[in-house]
Amino acid sequence: MTVNTIENQEQIIETLDKMQYVVDEEFATSLFLLLKLRKPLLLEGPPGVGKTEAALALSQLLKTKLIRLQCYEGLDVNAALYEWNYQKQLLGIKLQEESGLTIEEKEKHIFGHDYLLKRPLLESITQEFQSPVLLIDELDRSDEEFEAFLLELLSAFQISIPEIGTIRAKHKPYVILTSNRTRELSDALKRRCLYHWIDYPGLDKEMLIVRKRLPSIEEKLLAQVVHVAQQFRQRKLAKTPGVSETIDWAESLMALGYRELNETAFSVSLGSILKSAEDISLIRAEGHGTFMT
Amino acid sequence: MKQQAFETTSITQSIVAFAQFARSHGMNVGLLEAQDALLAADAGLLSSRTHFKSALKTIMCKSPEEARIFEKIFLLYWDTNPIDLQSRKSKTSILGMVEKKTNASLVMLGRGKPEAEETEAKNVSGANETERLKTTDLAKISEMDAAQLEDLSRKLFREMAIRMRRRMKESQKKGPVYLRRTIRKSIPFGGEPLELFRRSKKAKKQRLIVLLDVSGSMDKYSHYLLRFICALREQFRQLEAFIFSTSLLRVTRALQFSRIDLVLATIGSQAENWSGGTRIGACLQEFTDKYGKQLLNGSPTVLVLSDGLDTGQPEQVSKAMRSIHLRAKRIIWLNPLKGMKGYEPTARGMKAALPAIDEFRPAHNLKSLLELENILQDA
Repeated sequence: MTVNTIENQEQIIETLDKMQYVVDEEFATSLFLLLKLRKPLLLEGPPGVGKTEAALALSQLLKTKLIRLQCYEGLDVNAALYEWNYQKQLLGIKLQEESGLTIEEKEKHIFGHDYLLKRPLLESITQEFQSPVLLIDELDRSDEEFEAFLLELLSAFQISIPEIGTIRAKHKPYVILTSNRTRELSDALKRRCLYHWIDYPGLDKEMLIVRKRLPSIEEKLLAQVVHVAQQFRQRKLAKTPGVSETIDWAESLMALGYRELNETAFSVSLGSILKSAEDISLIRAEGHGTFMT
Repeated sequence: MKQQAFETTSITQSIVAFAQFARSHGMNVGLLEAQDALLAADAGLLSSRTHFKSALKTIMCKSPEEARIFEKIFLLYWDTNPIDLQSRKSKTSILGMVEKKTNASLVMLGRGKPEAEETEAKNVSGANETERLKTTDLAKISEMDAAQLEDLSRKLFREMAIRMRRRMKESQKKGPVYLRRTIRKSIPFGGEPLELFRRSKKAKKQRLIVLLDVSGSMDKYSHYLLRFICALREQFRQLEAFIFSTSLLRVTRALQFSRIDLVLATIGSQAENWSGGTRIGACLQEFTDKYGKQLLNGSPTVLVLSDGLDTGQPEQVSKAMRSIHLRAKRIIWLNPLKGMKGYEPTARGMKAALPAIDEFRPAHNLKSLLELENILQDA
């Protein structure tokens, strides 16, 4: 499916549904506008609700490449944009020693495209045939400097490399940014983006998602697992389980051969949904029975 | 400005007016958003109400809080029927910074009592005026000195911030060879890397969370402490600030825009609600519950400014402090009372908090605050 053939959000919902990704009307509208207005989309929400997955689904929908940049504290422009292949350059200099070229020619040679290592951001704007989906994951983890740099890229979609010149995007990428809200992103960046908050899904929607992912799951187990997971989220846990944890849990229960969530199944598999010792002991103390009603 | 959709004459006009309406309700909506909204309408999203609402939401809201405001004003704007208008007198002014609860604009914070208490002169009479002011207990500043101290504190805090920044740069050690520059600079020598350039690890910017007690017992100090926090903001760009007494209030954004006056006014206006005694334990608990997951990441430094006079349960204080301690790099507690001679942390709340504190220091005069510079520096 290409951008031009998408006419409304129902189409997006339908197609994504076939790709095992469930979206509601609001989210589909955000995606639709991302495609039509060509603005970056900022996704926020608690961990494990499928923010990263959304970018993957979108790239499948458009049958295009997904380029991912994982942010972390200390991420700098070199790791995100481009880097010269220094080892190769050193060799290149040595090899040219006897060639009799002028210094200018030598310089031109070792700062050519052959020696350039493309990092995700540069790669995303140098695609030849069609617009890729660029996923900038967990942006809240990066430093403010990087955020400021990103602003520049997201508005102009061009990058200048001093030794080569300015590279302008032939096909502007569709940009999806995700954040877990560990820190507030700058207003300037937010204003350049569309925004969508993904929350934990309700019971029905979560069942739908798990069923999509695990088509062979039995109805009874599915209902129990999702029901209990929803209750876990009501508790004050150190790490609230996301949808991906629910899927993990259901999957491990199936792998262990349980057909329903009985007491043994509950206690042996808690580790697949709760990821902290305090949480597990808290839930154990409440007991299997309290969650099954 | 058009207040409701029915007052407009075309769809374009009503969309633009809606953007203005949203802005007047505290949302960050500008020309760009209005333009996008029109483009979205053009892209065929006008056909259904839900679609159009979702579209406006994704364009105009930038946080879950704004989304909540949006839900409200969307109805208010598009659904108001002129017939029902008689009873409309809703004053929904949302101040983006801090919630205002009452209309009183009384500012306390050390300025409440005009009669200066010039009891015993514990002032150390140094050689010069600055030195004297620096070591004078903030609670014992006379009215005459107050203005002077105000200027002095502003100056000293600014100097401190600059010093901290500068020292950060110079203390960087040499790191591994930086090939990028080495090669660039080797070209003049025919590619022979004669000069090696090194690169040191970028100094990690420390995150700092400040919790300031603004209860009655801290009244005299909080004015200066708040100014001190603003100075710290220069160095720690990821600074989160909270004030608390009986409840907790996040003031990061207000500080960001250097609007101390607004914070002070808000504290003043809420003073009556807050005079019921400090509940340190409950406030710290609220902090970990509400903001812990968001802010206690990557082991930040936590700075608590309080006298530890608590009316709540001491167990709650120690429990909350322990849970913060687990996730913070270190906890620094500044207590103005510690500057008093012979002070022992015997107040119940203080005693309960003590085991979890890494650094327990006085904060009764400017000098003691400035000393903190060295501790935060290598934090």
